[in-house]
Amino acid sequence: MNYAHLHLLLNHFPIIGTMVGLGLFLVSFLGKNSDLRRSSYIVFAAVALISIPAFLSGFGAQLMIKGPSVSDALLQRHQGSALLSLWFMEATGALALIGLWQSQRTSQPPHWNVTAVLLFSFLTVGLMARTGNTGGDIRHPEVRPGQTVTTADGTVTEGPIGSIIHDFEPNPEKFSEAVTFSKWWWTFMMILHFLGLIMIVGTVGLLDIRIMGFLKQLPIAPLHRFLPWAMAGLGVNILTGLLAFIGLPENYIYSGVFWLKMLSLLLLGLNAAMFYLAGIFEGVENLGPGEDAPISAKLIAASSLFLWFAVITLGRYIQPLGDTLRPGSN
Amino acid sequence: MAVPEIFNTIEQTALSSWLRESTSVFGFYFILLFHTFGMALVVGASAVVDLRILGIASALPLKPLKRLFAIMWVGLALNVTSGLFLLTAYPTKALTNPDFYIKLSFIGLAVFTMRKMSIQVFGDASLDEVAMVAKGKMMAACSLAFWIGAVSAGRLLSETSKYVLYGHLWGS
Repeated sequence: MNYAHLHLLLNHFPIIGTMVGLGLFLVSFLGKNSDLRRSSYIVFAAVALISIPAFLSGFGAQLMIKGPSVSDALLQRHQGSALLSLWFMEATGALALIGLWQSQRTSQPPHWNVTAVLLFSFLTVGLMARTGNTGGDIRHPEVRPGQTVTTADGTVTEGPIGSIIHDFEPNPEKFSEAVTFSKWWWTFMMILHFLGLIMIVGTVGLLDIRIMGFLKQLPIAPLHRFLPWAMAGLGVNILTGLLAFIGLPENYIYSGVFWLKMLSLLLLGLNAAMFYLAGIFEGVENLGPGEDAPISAKLIAASSLFLWFAVITLGRYIQPLGDTLRPGSN
Repeated sequence: MAVPEIFNTIEQTALSSWLRESTSVFGFYFILLFHTFGMALVVGASAVVDLRILGIASALPLKPLKRLFAIMWVGLALNVTSGLFLLTAYPTKALTNPDFYIKLSFIGLAVFTMRKMSIQVFGDASLDEVAMVAKGKMMAACSLAFWIGAVSAGRLLSETSKYVLYGHLWGS
């Protein structure tokens, strides 16, 4: 398996996933089905998570196929559209998580949130479709309509819609330069990445050890009110992490521990899904001081704690083990 | 100002050069990993207590959070130990960097606040929750600010150091 495989394996999820999410979301307006609406939000959050490795693997695939047989202009165009759709995807996922959190008590997300998710998911579906298209153009000349895309002189001619979207797409090289323009800006991002880590581990870690059976005097429901702080930390870290990757992709893509870190984050997503969607959270939510959690909840809490410390460990070793996957390094 | 010769002596010791030069995953980065774990424990636990005192998750009973101070002290002990190893690896780099003293000052202030809160807010059984919050508010705000300062100064160390090793300026 190589990056091109990985990218092809992952890159269909964001496109089809957002369409499925939007479909469920639109149907939820008919008959005001709040369960369906929550399901569509969960789909958006899950797709936002899986879009991250889909995006990252694209950088690796790009380095692999770069060469005389592939148009650089088409690669750049795909990268630009991927960048733009990624930010909209992550914003949609964040809005969906905020909506899920706020609908805990009222069973319906607030109106502003529904409007924002509608707008962002709609735009994301469109941008993702374009990202799929521009990606397909790289290797599939049979789908390139001759009149809209010409590459003989290294430039890309866009169709009417493409040319409008293209104006909003960042130039990937300039974007990377903007992230790395100053060591002070880079250090500032790393400081934020550390503070995000502390917020996540402080709040989620405390909830985990309580469910595991330590600090049992603490009731669980109020402890769970720290969750937005963990999510804010996660949001800051996804943002700063993605920016760092885009700034210096070669520092990360050849590092085996970096990919294991991404795998751990996906497993954390799966773990959280088990916790909230398999009825385990309902089983511990109302535990008061001194009450013991069921074994299933303890296992989920222990894997959460283990995986977060794995994320820290793997992140710390990206620097010394940054070359383990570089061709010819072993 | 001349760089003290003692830094050179430390760098010549077997432990110091092993920490710097070992390619084992249990070398320098292993120590750095535990420094990060310790930070997550001491700052993470402090931040949760501070946020609770400042009004977040206010339904959470305050008194049982006293036990989080044990986690903070464990994290601090981990970081003093791992920090001494890191200092053994690069004494000149750290001790000639003004930012290192800024970091130590922030840690000193944060730990002082932590101890003060542990005694005056959580150690006084006669206080009810309202009195604990009233007494702890200023300390909680200071604690958050000091820890953010310490983490930031820590991350800035590698960007602000003048020397790598004794007699070796960066880039020379």
